[in-house]
Amino acid sequence: MIAFCIGQIYAGQLALAADAAMLPDWSGVWERVEGNGGIFDPSTVEPVDGRAGSPGVRQYPPLTEAWETKYQAMLEVVAQGRVPDPISICGTPAGFPRLLALPDVYEFIVRPEQTWIITENGPNIMRIYTDGREHPPESELWPTFTGDSVGRWDGQALTFSTVSMLGENGTVLDRSGLVLSDKASITTRMFKTEDGLLRAELTIKDPIALSEPWHVVRHFRKTPDGTRAFDYACAENNRNPITPSGQTLTLDAEGNTIDIEIDQDN
Amino acid sequence: MTHLIDIAKLKTVLFLSVVFLFSADISTAHHSSVMFDKATIVAVTATVKEFQWTNPHVWIQVIIKNDDDEMEEWSIEGLGPNSLFRKGWRPNSFIPGDVIEIKFNPMRDGSRAGGFIGARFADGSTIGNW
Repeated sequence: MIAFCIGQIYAGQLALAADAAMLPDWSGVWERVEGNGGIFDPSTVEPVDGRAGSPGVRQYPPLTEAWETKYQAMLEVVAQGRVPDPISICGTPAGFPRLLALPDVYEFIVRPEQTWIITENGPNIMRIYTDGREHPPESELWPTFTGDSVGRWDGQALTFSTVSMLGENGTVLDRSGLVLSDKASITTRMFKTEDGLLRAELTIKDPIALSEPWHVVRHFRKTPDGTRAFDYACAENNRNPITPSGQTLTLDAEGNTIDIEIDQDN
Repeated sequence: MTHLIDIAKLKTVLFLSVVFLFSADISTAHHSSVMFDKATIVAVTATVKEFQWTNPHVWIQVIIKNDDDEMEEWSIEGLGPNSLFRKGWRPNSFIPGDVIEIKFNPMRDGSRAGGFIGARFADGSTIGNW
């Protein structure tokens, strides 16, 4: 009996080893290709090469009428320099899908049973289960920053489904103020292209915020061999606290506010 | 010993119509860059007081002589140390006492801070966009 069990475990290890040998090499340190000042969907940004957070810069997802109105209201806030970006308070992760559009570098850790996306900025850790499990039942799900992701390997491509994200209740997609609802679901297909880029194709569905599926593509390029990723501790020396009105203040080296103009309603 | 030089006569403020080429790329940082006037570049000679090699942004504390010959401390904000390291910056890139030329986008409200653009050291070497 004991020999049988050991044999089963050994066979399982062999199966995992075989799976591992078939997985793609996504090792190393990567950086996003589409910069665009952090705009989430660079294919529709206007003006072209506009930076998220700059007045008048926006993208054009297929928003429902109500959420287009919501987005325009956010753009007005951006125009006033009061963009509500949760990560500016140095306390919460960027969440998915925004974590595919962050500055600094990325690591993609591929194992047979899981893939981890680690972003230096934040940091953010996204876990994608590929061991055959399904999403938990609704009674065991609650909205989180990265949601719940399960997927499968199709040759050298990873396809995964993500549900149960926070949406507008704690995340934005970028500094233009775009948000989704907590009913959004995303199917992502990731694979390495012939020119060595890592390509992520997202199909985003949201019965509340989107009138039709929204397709977004983002790429990552590998940095030179030997590149290191480092700690990112946002609260280490954050000299730019955010006021209740959304104003970004600046502190001097002693921690005193040096801004001359401060919102009256703070 | 900190060496201060009279920089009042060297201080120039350049108003540029095309600014993004030289502006600080703080828009990819952890906070909004709206407080910086990206249409204005201040170029001054300054003395480094302190270099804070910290997340989420590095800070260069510099002493600048104002037009009334008074010494003022200014806080110049850069990007994060991680990305800057990969661009060649090091924790000792600025050493207290160094006299440097520095360019930055000033705060819109005139407070003593700015977004780093570039610097030139006494030996002629440069860092950032110079």
